[in-house]
Formats: sequence, structure tokens, C-alpha cells
Amino acid sequence: MQAFEFEGKTTEEAIENACRQLKLTKDEIDVEIIEPGSAGIFGLVGGRKAKVKVTTTGEEPEPVEETNGVAIAKDALENILTLIPMEGTTVSAAQNDGTIALNIEGDTSGLLIGRKGRTLDALQFIVNKIVNKALEKRTQVVVDSENYRQRRRESLIQMALRMGEKAKNIGKPVVTNLLNPHDRRIVHMALRDDESLDTKSRGEGILKKILIIPER
Amino acid sequence: MKDLIAYIAKALVDKPEEVNVTEIEGEQTSVIELKVAKEDLGKVIGKQGRTARAMRTILSAASTKIRKRSVLEIIE
Repeated sequence: MQAFEFEGKTTEEAIENACRQLKLTKDEIDVEIIEPGSAGIFGLVGGRKAKVKVTTTGEEPEPVEETNGVAIAKDALENILTLIPMEGTTVSAAQNDGTIALNIEGDTSGLLIGRKGRTLDALQFIVNKIVNKALEKRTQVVVDSENYRQRRRESLIQMALRMGEKAKNIGKPVVTNLLNPHDRRIVHMALRDDESLDTKSRGEGILKKILIIPER
Repeated sequence: MKDLIAYIAKALVDKPEEVNVTEIEGEQTSVIELKVAKEDLGKVIGKQGRTARAMRTILSAASTKIRKRSVLEIIE
């Protein structure tokens, strides 16, 4: 959805201008009148232009491409699961704010999650590559199974808070295990509001440790 | 196993027609050899070997399923 502003002598004219420039019909846009506009005295003095804010609704080229992305992502993951082969699993897909969320249903064994979510991350990485190769616009794909992402998130926050407490108690920095960027972000965010703690990433490469430092 | 790697590799490279996968089956361990066009080598390996690692992780999950071990070799 995009918003634009248009002007015209009257609101009608402003709307017509909008339609012409955006190449859309009146049905495809939402109009909000900012300035009704006035003709002024005898249509000469003090006339004000009408101003409208136009929000595009309906289908524009972009969302079409995004739906496509969802289809590509879902297809890729389904194909991989079929080839593994994982019988009895299905993939559901959703999209919000440019992020494609894929959820694997039916893997009761946890095989697709793997140790510390490693397999799930690998699947997510590959599907991301496939989708972003096909699409021009950078799109993020999140792959989940058995609500793992939420569970991992909660346990990381718990760990962060526990380690934060420890750092304050002993008055020395404590350090986490090696974490991937996504997990690190969760830890940093969990401790961001604690003014008495500072967090820093340490290490080289994709996996880094986080240093939780108590301020004195 | 072979088809799985072939599918992923073909989806990642610019020249899918040059992707060639062979599987050498051993008693416990299979070796999967992946060959791609020279220009596509980087695409299947990835930054710091990330793509290759992801493929190996998926491959080992798939092997666990059939109680075997598989090794992925990327041939230059």
C-alpha cells in the first residue's frame, strides 16, 4: 500500500489527477480529503487548491510479486521435504510485512528441527536463497516447525535474564555460548532495557558470543 | 539422497543444466558428489561455506531418516 498527495481546483479534479497519474480507476484508490479547496471570490482572489491524499488499494504490481514469493518459498520447501523424504508433513504459508512465514506441520520426531534448530536453520537458509534468487526484491523467509522459533525465543530470553542477574551479582562480565545473528539479536533485545547491563558481541564469523557486562 | 542435493543445487545456480550429482553407495556411508559449472561454484559453497554447510545439514537429517550416513563432496 502506498500513499500519495494530489492537488486540483476542486476535490473531484484532484481525484481525477490522481487516477490519471497512478493509472488506476477510482475504485482502486482510497481518497482522504486534506483541503476541500475553495473558489475564492468570483473564482479569482483567495482561491485555494483542493488537496487529497490517495492510498492505493487493490492489486498493484508489488503485492502480486510478493504472493509469487510465497508460492516459490512454499514450493521449494515442499519439494525438499518430499525428497528427504518426510511423509505426512505439510507446509502452510503466510506473509506479513515482506516476511514470508512457512510452517511445517506434522514432524513429530523433531528431525527437521535438529540439534539447537540447526536443521531448521539450514532449511530456512536454503529456502531464503532460492526465493531471493527468483525475486528481485529482498525477501525474508522464516521456516518454523512445532512452534520451535517461539520456544527458542523464550528460552533465550530466560537465559539472557538469568545471565544478566549473574553478571550483576558477581560484578563481572559473563559470556554466552556461540550464537547465530538471529539468536544474538534476541539476547541483545532482552537486556536492552536494563540500564545496569551492557551487551557486546564478541568473535569472528557468523557465530559469535555475547558478553554481558555489568555497569558500575 | 542424490535427488535432494540435485534439486537444491539446481535451484541455487545460474546453469542448472550443468548440475551433475553422483552417489557412491557404501555399506554404511554414501558419498554424494556434486558438480556444477565453474561460475556456479561459489553459489553452492556460499559465503564462508554457509550454503555448503546448510546442504550438508539437510543431507544429514535426510540420512538419519534412513539410518545411514552421507557425505557431500563438492567437486571442482
